[in-house]
Amino acid sequence: MKSKRISLIHSSGDENGGTFKPQLTSLIDVMTILLVFLIKSFSVEGNLVTQSDNLALPVSGSKVKPDPVLSLEISRNSLIAEGTILAHNSSFVNSDSMVIPELLNWFSDRNKNEVEKSDNKIMIQSDREIEFNIVKRVMYTCSRAGYSDFSILVIEEG
Amino acid sequence: MKAISDAIIRSPSDAADIPDLDVTPIMNMFIILIPFLVSMAVFTHLSILEFTLPSNAGIGLDDSAGKPELKLTIVVADDHLAITHGENMLDSIPVTNHNYDLITFRNRLSYFRQNVSIRNEAVVAVRDNIKFKHVVHIMDECRSVGFVNIGLSNATSNAESGV
Repeated sequence: MKSKRISLIHSSGDENGGTFKPQLTSLIDVMTILLVFLIKSFSVEGNLVTQSDNLALPVSGSKVKPDPVLSLEISRNSLIAEGTILAHNSSFVNSDSMVIPELLNWFSDRNKNEVEKSDNKIMIQSDREIEFNIVKRVMYTCSRAGYSDFSILVIEEG
Repeated sequence: MKAISDAIIRSPSDAADIPDLDVTPIMNMFIILIPFLVSMAVFTHLSILEFTLPSNAGIGLDDSAGKPELKLTIVVADDHLAITHGENMLDSIPVTNHNYDLITFRNRLSYFRQNVSIRNEAVVAVRDNIKFKHVVHIMDECRSVGFVNIGLSNATSNAESGV
């Protein structure tokens, strides 16, 4: 009798023409929650600037949206420009000179190739755990190369 | 026994005489909508903090008489935050439990901002060994009290000397 009852439970659709009706209520609940979450994070513009993979950017309350300008990345180990590793941090962090020669050479090569200069603006993507000593040297070298308008890429808080 | 079996077979909707809702179109909509929204979703919002390198840290050049006016300077050291105006040390906020007391700093900075002539410019002077995330937090606080133009500079080991 027990086995017959179980079979009746599992084949309840057989008497209605052999169709199986799965219980979709919980699935629709999940889909609805997912839909609300995705609509909240929906962005028509998207991000004009992409964060580098190997960086943990600092968090800030700033709401100023970034524009695509020349960008330098300072990871925990190296200084990177347009995907190319220019120098390792250890090579210049204790140097007597404030100028990073590799970066200055990269700027001069870039200017020789007549790449359009974007209004002396430069954006620094720096890891949050980097010491200011490294950032300071990068900024100084940038100013020597003619860049005076700086911005820092940060993760928007909240 | 047959009555018991019928009760088991009957679904709750049958018992209440409510017809089954056809959710197939809703599921189809979800299946189309969710991949589209996933592709357009931005999970990390990026923004920028703008700053300049001060040509002469701590000194403003906007005085019409030609005499430069002093800007508020915030010295970020590993054991304290100092607010200076020229050579005058206005306040010093010690680090407690390895954290900067940003609330006190904000209140003090807001107070001192009322007493200086240049109220939209400040200089953040940072010691070499300070982590960059702390620099960003201090710049954030400066912006929150009303400083629009923030200069970033290097601090000497002697905090009393300003920059």
